[in-house]
Amino acid sequence: MAAMAAWRAVRAVPCVPIVPAVTRPLHTTPARLKTRAARVRGGRGDKAVTYEMAHPPHYIAHRKGWLSLHTGNLDGEAGAAERAVEDAFLRRFLAGTFPGVLADAAVLKRRANLVVVCAVLARVLPPAKLYFLVGYTETLLSHFYKCPVRLELQTVPNKVIYKYL
Amino acid sequence: MVMAVAAGRWAALSQAAAAPRLRAAALSSAVPAVSGREGQPREASTRRRGRTPQFVRSQAPPRTERMAVDQDWTSVYPTAAAFKPASVPLPIRMGYPVKRGVPPSKEGNLELIKIPNFLHLTPPAIKKHCAALKDFCTEWPSALDSDEKCEQHFPIETETTDYVSAGTSIRNPKARVVTLRVKLSKLNLDEHAKKKLIKLVGERYCKDTDILTITTDRCPLRRQNYDYGIHLLTVLYHESWKTEMWESEKSEEDMEEYIWENSRSQKNALDTLLRIKASENVSNVTEEELLASDLVNDYRNSVIALKNEGETENNMSRYKESVKKLLNVKA
Repeated sequence: MAAMAAWRAVRAVPCVPIVPAVTRPLHTTPARLKTRAARVRGGRGDKAVTYEMAHPPHYIAHRKGWLSLHTGNLDGEAGAAERAVEDAFLRRFLAGTFPGVLADAAVLKRRANLVVVCAVLARVLPPAKLYFLVGYTETLLSHFYKCPVRLELQTVPNKVIYKYL
Repeated sequence: MVMAVAAGRWAALSQAAAAPRLRAAALSSAVPAVSGREGQPREASTRRRGRTPQFVRSQAPPRTERMAVDQDWTSVYPTAAAFKPASVPLPIRMGYPVKRGVPPSKEGNLELIKIPNFLHLTPPAIKKHCAALKDFCTEWPSALDSDEKCEQHFPIETETTDYVSAGTSIRNPKARVVTLRVKLSKLNLDEHAKKKLIKLVGERYCKDTDILTITTDRCPLRRQNYDYGIHLLTVLYHESWKTEMWESEKSEEDMEEYIWENSRSQKNALDTLLRIKASENVSNVTEEELLASDLVNDYRNSVIALKNEGETENNMSRYKESVKKLLNVKA
């Protein structure tokens, strides 16, 4: 209907060239631009989340601290990108070396040359295996990054659940 | 019974993707050993394998329960370390509480681990650090017991900055900057040399403190910048003592401070006074007498003060008084 009216209107003006109807209605839903970064979406009340997972990123510096501490992001300091890449690699490495053992995200601290990886582990592995993995991690990462890497562990009986979403 | 306990524990950790694999491993390890072994040894091995998941059960109590009140804390936290809930005998809670709840306790609390702590820097620990460092310290030289003596023996102050950051590299390009400071009164300069030096350095000289500051950063290394700074100082010193031919063309605009002698103000004042005297028909007074007179001296001092120090209440009132006296104007 609207198309026909438009066509007739166009035809009424003699100098306008006749083109076929150019309006094509399309049915769309309204756009939903929700941020999905680092958020656990609400469930039925059976999804157990830790304190870290329960708080979305806008709570950083309000209810959450930083998982990685280094001077690279300060004003006038260099090396922010290098530290970020190192952090990403370290987290992947830990996720692969301690599969099913990490109870929470690892906290990375840098003190001058030294990298301290603070991890909370569940009591899944026997101590002997754990010590081996710790030694393996420290040695490999120290050789890889050419700086001392120290692992500081804490074991908990179960994952520390903050709430159920 | 053992398998049920194992299954229960694995279910609690079911968030990890590797859980099914581990569960299978636990179940397989709990199954009795392969046939082909003899009586007692087989029982021992099954007992050992059946025990594999049970190390989780017997955990030693945390160290906090065996800590005396007057223990040596420096041995618990000798160096900077993350927060260890089993080593810190304090009932700390940290975090935002759930509704109608309390902040989470210290066990497995990531927030407590994230923050830097100073548990290794208690006053007794710092006392120990100082005692250990004392062996590496030397006494301050007794001859340098006042600031003036330090300035007298070490007139040039060198300032450099070292930067520490977290990362694998110790290099920081800001560390090459060197600042040299020296008081011009310590340098052997006469009037002309001092004025020429101040003109040469421009902004680097501070009149209030009489300090010349030279900052160099054009070389890539700190030592090179220091040598360049010393070289600059030497060159400035020697150049300011030389008098070039074109310096004789120094005009009134180049003068640093106002000089009243041979200035327009002097000419105008003398002119005015001569005309006043002429109109009063006083006998011819010479210029030298006028110059030496108190009136003119007053006027000269007030004009010099105004020009050199700027306009202040004092200066303006002095100028007003001297002009009134000069022109013999009764208030």
